[in-house]
Amino acid sequence: MLKLLKEILRTGEATVKYPFAPMEVCKDFRGKPEHRAEDCIACAACTVACPANAIQMETDTAAGSRTWSINYGRCVFCGRCEESCPTGAIRLSADFELAVGSKADLTRKAVFTLAGCACCGKPFAPAKEVDYVARLLGQSARSAEEAERLRLTAATCPACKRAQDVQQIAGMGIARQMDAGHSESEHAVKERETTP
Amino acid sequence: MNAPLAPNALVAEMSPVSTSDQIATMKTALLKNIQRSAYVYRVDCGGCNGCEIEIFSSITPVFDAERFGIKVVASPRHADILLFTGAVTRSMRMPALRAYEAAPDPKIVVSYGACGCTGGIFHDLYCVWGGTDNIVPVDVYIPGCPPTPAATIHGFAVALGLLEQKLKAETHVEAAGEAAALPHPDIPYALRVRLEREARRMAGYRQGRTIVEEFMALLEGHARAPGALTLPDRMTAAVGAERDPRRAEIIGRLAEVVQRTIRGEAP
Repeated sequence: MLKLLKEILRTGEATVKYPFAPMEVCKDFRGKPEHRAEDCIACAACTVACPANAIQMETDTAAGSRTWSINYGRCVFCGRCEESCPTGAIRLSADFELAVGSKADLTRKAVFTLAGCACCGKPFAPAKEVDYVARLLGQSARSAEEAERLRLTAATCPACKRAQDVQQIAGMGIARQMDAGHSESEHAVKERETTP
Repeated sequence: MNAPLAPNALVAEMSPVSTSDQIATMKTALLKNIQRSAYVYRVDCGGCNGCEIEIFSSITPVFDAERFGIKVVASPRHADILLFTGAVTRSMRMPALRAYEAAPDPKIVVSYGACGCTGGIFHDLYCVWGGTDNIVPVDVYIPGCPPTPAATIHGFAVALGLLEQKLKAETHVEAAGEAAALPHPDIPYALRVRLEREARRMAGYRQGRTIVEEFMALLEGHARAPGALTLPDRMTAAVGAERDPRRAEIIGRLAEVVQRTIRGEAP
């Protein structure tokens, strides 16, 4: 009997104190994905990466807004969103107390505004994303003019870029043809000159 | 000959079970002054058994849900709390409903795990009905894939009205002039990308990011206050000061990347 009591005292209590004391979790515990909307550029990388479609984005071009939303009830805590986030805006925290009484409390949303294209003015990408990309490109630009050019490139929608490219290439083609025609006639003249 | 079939015609719309007001008042009375143990019956609607493992680990001596009187029973007829795990599959829908009907009123229904809450990663499968709330009225949702034993205990406490839920629905609206901060503006973008790639290759995205952030703080510290030590010396010192050989190896590699970029070599 005494031996048993001794053994019990030696072993101590195995049960955690959890609901009465905070629970210690390990360092890289994958808990609730914490989204800092201030750092988010609404690039949709997490939306694409999310295997359970817990993170979703809806673009409303009429209202000029993009709504980012996460449903914690569908999240499988894989951390792919954190892995794909270019700005580190989403990070899996140590918070695991997610139980709720109503399903609506499981969703979290963030609304971002869309930026209009610098060329045609139609909304095409979140304003924060365009701004971030322009600043990132401007960081490695050699001159202020190049930075401005890169900013314009970032702020132009793909359709306008394509139209501009087509114009540019068409212009190049005409110039080359004209060049080619010119040189050919020159060549012919030269040939005529040299032939006896 | 074969008329085209509308996809909606293939989906059976089932009306969810509804509870009467009388049962609702009985339930609030049960929650208000529950003076005895709460018996839990576990209904598996077609999950992967990850949730079941966590439920059983929460009644082991380490987490010991039984100290609160929460006891897992073998029959729905003994149950106060019904714990629905797994996404509701087509073939397990009827057995789940039968278990719900077999439990005496008032009963508390808990939807357990990501699959139970919304269908989880299986939400768009052909044979999945969706979350538990599609077939029975749910009182508490415990998300997680699977929920840890501690989260399970928290969920039970919420179900029994002992603890308040922590999560609230929130909507952030972009403020005017809100901009994401550019990380490490002092470090050239090309170098930052190379460093981040190397760290991620060596240590994965999470630890890699932590290590590369520390390393870039070191570089930035040098850029702001170039002391007596040169940058290579400083990096060598950082490698020497690191006690974990794995981290020292990674920091050494990152220093090499910096050296190579300075020399203008390909990474």
